[in-house]
Amino acid sequence: MATDTDPEGGGIFGGEGETDRDRTGNAVVNWMENLSEAAYAYLLLLPATALLALIAFYPLVMTFIMSLQEDRTRGLEPLGGFVGIENYVNILTGNARLARQFMDVTMSTSFPFIEFGVPILQQALFVTLGFAVISVFFETIIGFGQAYVLDQDFRGRRWVRVAIILPWAVPIVIQGMVFFLLFQPEVGFGSDFMQWLGVFGADPLADSQDSFIIVLVADIWKSAAFMALLILAGLQSVDRSLYDVARVAGASPLQRFKMITLPLVLPALLVAMLFRTMDAMRVYGLIESTAGCTTVPSLTCLVVEAMFGGTRIYATAAAVAFMTALVIGLIISVYVFFFRDTEGGLS
Amino acid sequence: MTDDTPPDRSDRAEQSAESDPGNHDAAATEEVPAHWHHARRMTDGGQPAKEGDVLIGEESDEEAVLDRGPFERWASKAIKNPERAYKSMFYTATIFFLLTTLFPFYWLLMVALTPEGRQQDIILTPNGFNPGAFIEVFEVLPFHWYMFNSFVIATASTVIVLVIGSLAGYAFGRLDFRGKLPMMLLVLVISFFPPAAFFIPLNDLFNTSVFLLEPITGDGTLYNTPGAMVLPLSAIFMPLAIFILTTFYAQIPEGLEDAARVEGTTRLGALFRVIIPLSAPGVATAGVLTFIAVYNEFFFSFLMTDGQPENWAPLLEGILGYQGQYEVLYHLMAASSIIGVIPVAILVVVAQEKIVSGLTAGGLKE
Repeated sequence: MATDTDPEGGGIFGGEGETDRDRTGNAVVNWMENLSEAAYAYLLLLPATALLALIAFYPLVMTFIMSLQEDRTRGLEPLGGFVGIENYVNILTGNARLARQFMDVTMSTSFPFIEFGVPILQQALFVTLGFAVISVFFETIIGFGQAYVLDQDFRGRRWVRVAIILPWAVPIVIQGMVFFLLFQPEVGFGSDFMQWLGVFGADPLADSQDSFIIVLVADIWKSAAFMALLILAGLQSVDRSLYDVARVAGASPLQRFKMITLPLVLPALLVAMLFRTMDAMRVYGLIESTAGCTTVPSLTCLVVEAMFGGTRIYATAAAVAFMTALVIGLIISVYVFFFRDTEGGLS
Repeated sequence: MTDDTPPDRSDRAEQSAESDPGNHDAAATEEVPAHWHHARRMTDGGQPAKEGDVLIGEESDEEAVLDRGPFERWASKAIKNPERAYKSMFYTATIFFLLTTLFPFYWLLMVALTPEGRQQDIILTPNGFNPGAFIEVFEVLPFHWYMFNSFVIATASTVIVLVIGSLAGYAFGRLDFRGKLPMMLLVLVISFFPPAAFFIPLNDLFNTSVFLLEPITGDGTLYNTPGAMVLPLSAIFMPLAIFILTTFYAQIPEGLEDAARVEGTTRLGALFRVIIPLSAPGVATAGVLTFIAVYNEFFFSFLMTDGQPENWAPLLEGILGYQGQYEVLYHLMAASSIIGVIPVAILVVVAQEKIVSGLTAGGLKE
C-alpha cells in the first residue's frame, strides 16, 4: 500500500483533494501511516495496556506485596515489616485474626481423620467451593433445559426468550433483594413454606445452612439464564442438516441428543461452566444483600470484612484475596487439564 | 402404529367417497393419496421438532376425530404419534421455566403494591392496593438520582470499553506482531482474579490526592467520583469485550480493508469506517454485555463511594437505602427493585436476538 507516499504528493496525483491523507495531512497521521505493522499493533494496544496496567496489574502486584507484610493494628502505619508467607500459613492453619476462618481443619486420629475447628459452613473456603460446585451443577442442567426450549421454533418464541433470559440481566442487588424479601419471615412466604417442609429452622436468614440454601436458589435462578444464553449460542451454531441425517438413519431423539447435540455444544458448554465457576467463586454481592457475610462467609466476604471490619488487618486481607485468586487459578487449571482434548474447547 | 392404519384409511376413504358420491373411480384414486399421506407420516413418525413443526394444533395431517373424551383423544394421539408426546413435554418445560423465572418479579410487584405495614403472607395477591409506592420511592430517597448515576457510569464504561477494546481487538484480530498470544493470555488472566484482589491498592490509589485532578474533583482524589467506578469496571469487563471484538474483526475479508486503503483512507479511518461498521452485530453484543455487566455490578459499586447520591453512588445504594436503621420499608425496597430492573429489561427485549446471534457468530464459535 502507498503508506510511504509523500503527503504533499497527493496534489500531484491528479489533484484528488478527497482522500483522508490529504485532509488530515498532519504529522501524527503521517507518522502512524509509516509505522511497521508490528509497531502499529503495539500503538493500538497501548490504551488497553495502560488501563489494564494501572487498574489491574499494578493492584495485583501491590496486593501480593502487602500480603507478605505484617499486620499492625496500632499506630499510624497499617503495615509492618516483611514476614514472608506467615500470613498465608496463618490463614491455612486457621490462626488468622479473621472473624471467620478461611479454613480450619486439623488432622485427627479417628475416622474420618479430619476435624473441623468450626462448623464447615463457617469456613470460607468450603462455603465458597460448595457454593460453586452445587450452583454450577444445577445451573448447567437447568440452563441446558432452557436453552433447548429456546432453540425450538414456536410462536411467541421472542417473548419466551426475553422472559427466560431476563433474570440474567437483573442487577445483583435486586436479585438479592427479591430473595431476601421472599425468605424474610415478616414478608415472604418462602420461609414458612420451607419450615412446613421441615427443611428450615426458626430464623433462616440467621442460620448458616438455611441461608446457604437461599443463596444457592437465588444464584441458580439468575445464573441458569446466563448458562442458557451461552448454551443457546452453541446450539444455534449446530448444523441442522446433521439432524436430518440422523433421522434418516433412524436415531431416536435421545440418541440424537447424545451423538449430535452434546458433542457439538460441549465447547460452548465448557466455556459457560468455566465462566460460571469463576463467577461463583467470587460470590459476594448476593450474600451481602441477602443473608449477610457473617451467616454465609464466602472468600470475598473475608477480604471485605478484614478491610472494613474495623480491625485493620490489611495484610491478612491481601493474603486472603490472593489465596482466593490462587484457588480460582487452580480450578481453571483443572478445567483446562481435563478438557484440553475437547475439540475447539477452552481456547 | 401399523395396526392403527386400517380404520384410519377406511375413514378417509369413506370421507372421500361421501364427498364425491357419484364417482367411484374418483373415490378409489382419492384413497391412494390418503394412504400415501399416512405412510409419509409413519416414516417420520419419530421425529420431533423440525423447524416450524412444534406449533400445537398446527398439524394438518390429523385423522378425523372420533367421539372420545379430550384426554383419551389426546392419549391415543400421543401413542400413535410420539411427536405429540414430545410436544407436550416441551410445553410443560416451557411453562415451568416461565413460571420459575417470572414468578419472583410478579411477587415483587405484589409486595410493592401492598401498603406499608401489611406485608404478611403475600403470595398471589397484594394485601390492599397502593400504587403510590412507585411515587413514594422517589420521595423518600432521590432514587432517580441513583439511577442517573448508574446510567452515567454504565454508559461511560461501555464507551471506554468499546473504543479501547476496538483498538485492541483490531490489533489482535487483523495484525501480525511478536508476542500476540502471550498478550492475549495476559488480558484473559485478568478475568481470573476476584475483584477483592484489586480492591485494596485501588482504594488507596483512588484516595491519593493527585495534583492534576484537583481542579476537577476538589480534593484531588477519585473516591466519590464516577471515575472510581468507571476505571476499574472498564478494566474488569474489557477482556470479554476484546475477545468478542477480536473474533468479529478477524472475520472481515482482507480485500475490503485493502480497497478502502487504496482509496486513500488512513489506517485508523479503515478501522472506524470499514471494520467497525461491518462488525456492527459484534460491537452491539460487546456493548450490551458490557452495559448490563456494569449496571449490575456489586463489588466496586458498593465500596467505591460513600453511598451519597451527590457523590455518584449508584442504583444499589439507593435500593439498600430503604433498609434504614429503625424501620425497613419493604414495599419501597420492592418498588425500587422493579424500577431498577426496567432499563435492563428494555435492553434485553430490544437486543435479545442480537445477543444470541452475536455470541453465536463471535466469541464462542472458535
